[in-house]
Amino acid sequence: MPLAPNTPSPARPPRHSDGPALSVENLVKRYPTGTEALRGVSLEIKDGQFFGLLGPNGAGKSTLIHCATGLAVPTSGEIRIFGHNAVDDYAEARESIGLAPQDINLDWFATCEEVLDYHGGYFGMNKKDRKERVTELLDAFSLTGKRNESTRTLSGGMKRRLTLARALMHRPRLLILDEPTAGVDVELRLELWQYVKQVNAEGTTILLTTHYLEEAEELCDQIAFINDGQIVAEGTSEALARKFQVGSLEDAYLKLVGRNELSRAHVGGDAL
Amino acid sequence: MIRFGMLTRREVSRWVKIWKQTIGAPLLETFLYISVFGAALGSRVGDLDGVDYTVFVIPGLILMAWAINAFTNNSSSILQQKFQHSIDDQLSSPASPLQLLMALTLGGFLRGMTIAVITFLVASLLVDLPVEHWPVLVAGLFLVGFFFAQLGVLVGIRAEQFDDVSFAQTFILQPLIFLGGVFYSASLLPEPYQTLTHFNPVYYMISLVRYGFLGQADVNVALSLVLLTLATGALFLLNLRLFTTGYKLRA
Repeated sequence: MPLAPNTPSPARPPRHSDGPALSVENLVKRYPTGTEALRGVSLEIKDGQFFGLLGPNGAGKSTLIHCATGLAVPTSGEIRIFGHNAVDDYAEARESIGLAPQDINLDWFATCEEVLDYHGGYFGMNKKDRKERVTELLDAFSLTGKRNESTRTLSGGMKRRLTLARALMHRPRLLILDEPTAGVDVELRLELWQYVKQVNAEGTTILLTTHYLEEAEELCDQIAFINDGQIVAEGTSEALARKFQVGSLEDAYLKLVGRNELSRAHVGGDAL
Repeated sequence: MIRFGMLTRREVSRWVKIWKQTIGAPLLETFLYISVFGAALGSRVGDLDGVDYTVFVIPGLILMAWAINAFTNNSSSILQQKFQHSIDDQLSSPASPLQLLMALTLGGFLRGMTIAVITFLVASLLVDLPVEHWPVLVAGLFLVGFFFAQLGVLVGIRAEQFDDVSFAQTFILQPLIFLGGVFYSASLLPEPYQTLTHFNPVYYMISLVRYGFLGQADVNVALSLVLLTLATGALFLLNLRLFTTGYKLRA
């Protein structure tokens, strides 16, 4: 089912503070087990950017996102969302963020409409605004027919779409997509690409984590590599390839994780 | 206010949707107790402390229904949401720790209150149930409901598996309530059980509610109210601290 072309209106709450969409300074996150998931991460995402954060499993991508959204408590360092400290001014900071998490976490007891309505309420939207926005998003994500159905009855693709719709419900200025296309079919992946490109074009800043390098190349205008809890490189896709002295983003990534032998260039060369 | 209202609506809507399990079953259980202990055994027991036995047990059953349902609802709701990670939607919202705590508390508080009020209304139709001290009754029941709703939140936050919740309910909560004097007067117990009962906090809660209904109390009513208020306040502050620090909620 294609996503409807009429995307929801991007009207947002007024800006209360200027600054980059996301500013991270020397962020450290140490879990009680002693594991140091983030080891002095510094990063800046400008307003309006489509930013990709790439790295192997366990590199610290989701931990960084959790620290920004309040799902994890930073050990030290600072995170600012449009100038608001994510810990001290958490309410203002979180108002600007929409999060589509890696794992589907929809409420089993709620219908599609309720999932969006509850979320809007948590973010302080009034009833009239919520009603209009719910209709708009269900339409945009081709879920109108499932409006009153429990989230438990949805297919995997529908759950993924509803998760993205929920993240957009309160019209966030910064949309965080944590591996949004993991496990979805090609058709839905391309639809989601189309949708998030449009959302970005309308002014929403996007932070995307993904394991699909072609996805990052297609969508992101700035990319950072994170490995072992540290940002190790940042730039455009081409700049990263140059920095690692390889021909593509994929090869740059493979060099980062020390698996150059998997490069398609090598495989092709060997085959010849 | 919108935020708090919606957080509360979510909690209430959860148990309303599965009302057969959350309202129907506890009501049936309460009326089975009234039937067995009141109508069937009551005729053999006769009066207790000068009151018909059926009337004597109803205050304790109302308290027990409110307490257990407030506790069960909140501990289960929080643990379920932690398992599904659906609580992340609330935790990553601008809602304050106080708003989150109060909404999760009210979910179970209102479920317990609904069952208690229905039980009271139906019991009033079946027997001549007096209410001697409305202010004490209302204050006592509200404090008891809030205390057990808070206790449910605490257990739900700490729990890592459903076994943790059922352990607390089966091995701690229910024995304390049953041995607190729902079905009997502690003054009838031989020593050392009579003295031991005085170490059970639920005994004072039941006495307080029974005083509100029947006008009789084995304990100092004012002191019980003060101690219950202090205990509820302490539990509330502890939970607020846990929500503020994100204990077992935020990584």
